[in-house]
Amino acid sequence: MNKNRSIVHMDLDTFFVSCERLLDSRLIGKPVLIGGTSSRGVVASCSYEARKFGIHSAMPMRLAKSLCPEAVILRGNAGIYSNFSKDVTDVIKDSVPLYEKSSIDEFYIDLTGMDKFFGCHKLASELRQRIMKETGLPISFGLSINKTVSKIATGEAKPNNEIKIVSGTEKPFLAPLSVRKIPMVGEVTYKSLCDLGVKRIKTVQDMPMDLMHKVLGKNGLSIWKKANGIDLSPVVQYQERKSISTERTFNKDTTDVLKLKGIIIAMTENLAYQLRRGNKLTACITFKIRYSDFQTYTQQQRIPYSAMDHSIIPVVLDLYKKLYNRRLLVRLIGVKFSHLVEGGYQINLFEDNEKQLQLTQAIDTMRQRYGDRAVISAAGMGAKSISRWNPFNGEPPPLLPNRRR
Amino acid sequence: MKFIVSSTYLLKQLQVLGGVINSSNTLPILDNFLFELDHNKLTVSASDLETTMASTLDVESDSEGSVAIPARLLLDTLKTFPEQPLTFVVEDNNTIEISSNHGKYALAYADGNEFPKAVALEDPSKTIILGDVLATAISKTIFAAGNDDLRPVMSGVFFQFSTEGLTFVATDAHKLVKYTRADIQANQVAEFIMPKKPLNLLKGILAGSEDEVTIEYNDSNAKFTFENSELICRLIDGKYPNYEAVIPKENPNKLAIDRTQFLNSVRRVSIFSNKTTHQIRLKIAGAELNISAEDVDYSNKAEERLTCAYQGDDMQIGFNSRFLTEMLNNLGSDEVQLEMSMPNRAGILTPVDGLDEGERITMLVMPVMLNG
Repeated sequence: MNKNRSIVHMDLDTFFVSCERLLDSRLIGKPVLIGGTSSRGVVASCSYEARKFGIHSAMPMRLAKSLCPEAVILRGNAGIYSNFSKDVTDVIKDSVPLYEKSSIDEFYIDLTGMDKFFGCHKLASELRQRIMKETGLPISFGLSINKTVSKIATGEAKPNNEIKIVSGTEKPFLAPLSVRKIPMVGEVTYKSLCDLGVKRIKTVQDMPMDLMHKVLGKNGLSIWKKANGIDLSPVVQYQERKSISTERTFNKDTTDVLKLKGIIIAMTENLAYQLRRGNKLTACITFKIRYSDFQTYTQQQRIPYSAMDHSIIPVVLDLYKKLYNRRLLVRLIGVKFSHLVEGGYQINLFEDNEKQLQLTQAIDTMRQRYGDRAVISAAGMGAKSISRWNPFNGEPPPLLPNRRR
Repeated sequence: MKFIVSSTYLLKQLQVLGGVINSSNTLPILDNFLFELDHNKLTVSASDLETTMASTLDVESDSEGSVAIPARLLLDTLKTFPEQPLTFVVEDNNTIEISSNHGKYALAYADGNEFPKAVALEDPSKTIILGDVLATAISKTIFAAGNDDLRPVMSGVFFQFSTEGLTFVATDAHKLVKYTRADIQANQVAEFIMPKKPLNLLKGILAGSEDEVTIEYNDSNAKFTFENSELICRLIDGKYPNYEAVIPKENPNKLAIDRTQFLNSVRRVSIFSNKTTHQIRLKIAGAELNISAEDVDYSNKAEERLTCAYQGDDMQIGFNSRFLTEMLNNLGSDEVQLEMSMPNRAGILTPVDGLDEGERITMLVMPVMLNG
């Protein structure tokens, strides 16, 4: 592979807040919080004015409120944000040969080889100016030889700025930063690194690779590589989905088994419909349950390739029965399908009947014409807010602004 | 205990029996052949507890006794000998000594009484069938049997004997084969499910055989006796699914086509299908059969057109190409007929020619649901 790649990472600054500010200019200059407004909500995005109060994203909304009582709190609207995101994507698509949309507000752009003609930094700067001019959204970027370094650089450039890491200076650039800045180092990994006395990336750079492997396993190796500015992953335009899932946190913990069952059926039904719409099959079903004490349990089950409600729903309910065995309130439930393949359902001679198959096909036709929720099973009627997006169009999964913990 | 036997004669019998022995046994004695000598009759047995097979050999001897001899060691040794008489002598120190023209070899043996006894069939019913006919029935059906441990009944072949004929059925719930012989009858009605392993052994031994095979059976076991051998096996316990109910009766869409041509096209096109689902699409309109496949993940695509004789409405149906190739491969006819009704109902594949009098084969293949 080309050693001198030029990879740009672009990230829209406080994306949700910026969108809201475009819609309502009164929000400019004020601390704004976007996220779930219920007691369980978390902050999905917050303006820089709010960050001064110590608020950061993923913080429980309640805590954020007490830190900054005067903040404007908005529930957010995923549809509007997706449209803004699409506008930005269109500008990028129009200007560069190869890009990857890794989330609703982040892009990787491969500008390798452009130096000869335009100058990568100049091209990226112009693109940034163009995005800001055409969409009105502030955006920052980092330019370096690979995705990891660019992403970290963007974080340093923010807000509303740009940065270029000259080839060969990756290690000194990373050295003084906190290990927390490495993508994939989350709360837990950070803690175990702190326990080792590792706080700065420099320390990781100085450590032998084997030691990291011993302490953190496989992840340790890739953290070490990232810390040393090594990342060979390419910019991929289209990401094949490996799994689809949905989960739901309740406003109030519940033991209402009928309600739980209804939600599980509605979630499964919707996911199975997404599979059929994308002409996919699943071979592995995972069920997840979180109790009020935050203990989370998951269990999975292999099944013959299927996308049919009548073969999947009993499996999910069975897993639910197995997992729901503590006499505690339930906080969250989730369903995931993985091991996806392209194809149609293989009909079984003895277990399927024609009526059921025809019913499924008829329901799908109705849904395609009149919308996802045109026909749903009565058991799942109670569950209203289940995300309904097409998981197989190559776009990253939407980030719900009003999600809960 | 002492006997003399021809090396190649013994090897030939032992190699057949060796098929019964599992490569890894929880019971060490099952790694042995049981040799039971009664003057000029030597009976050798092998067992995996489910299946026990025994053959009787003519040897030169005037003694009696029974020993269990390590199978692997004995087979490996016998393979290397050219034709010659071998003398087996059981020594006092728990070894058996084999003398050949080249030298002497000693193996440790176990007491023959430790070897598990084959079950005796109580109150069996009996049917006689020609060896080759049985072997054909097995080879026509066994490929369609399933491998799912969760549904053991489908992992075997269903034998259905009646006064009107013999029927053999195998299915894995996606494909089904029913093989009927109307020219051979049983005295009374009987049904049992035979496991795959003994059937594969029988298929190998009996192919082309003109000898008669006596099948004796009761609720739990079946015994096959032929020439100088007998095979006793435990039957699969359970109720076989009602397969007759799932064979569609009315199939207005009939497609007749050259088997080899169809098979080759399906094979070629399926190379371009998804590597997991092996899904292909048949589009039939007028006298043209269009076979296509696509692997979206790798952008592979193929399409072929064949001429065929077709009666019925234009239709599109999806199949797992693996099933189609297995079935077409298993048939020996020049031409086949595929009968269909709807894209979500089974297709019925039958040979048009090449069958014996009284012989009938019906193959069912379930489609995959197509969208668009």
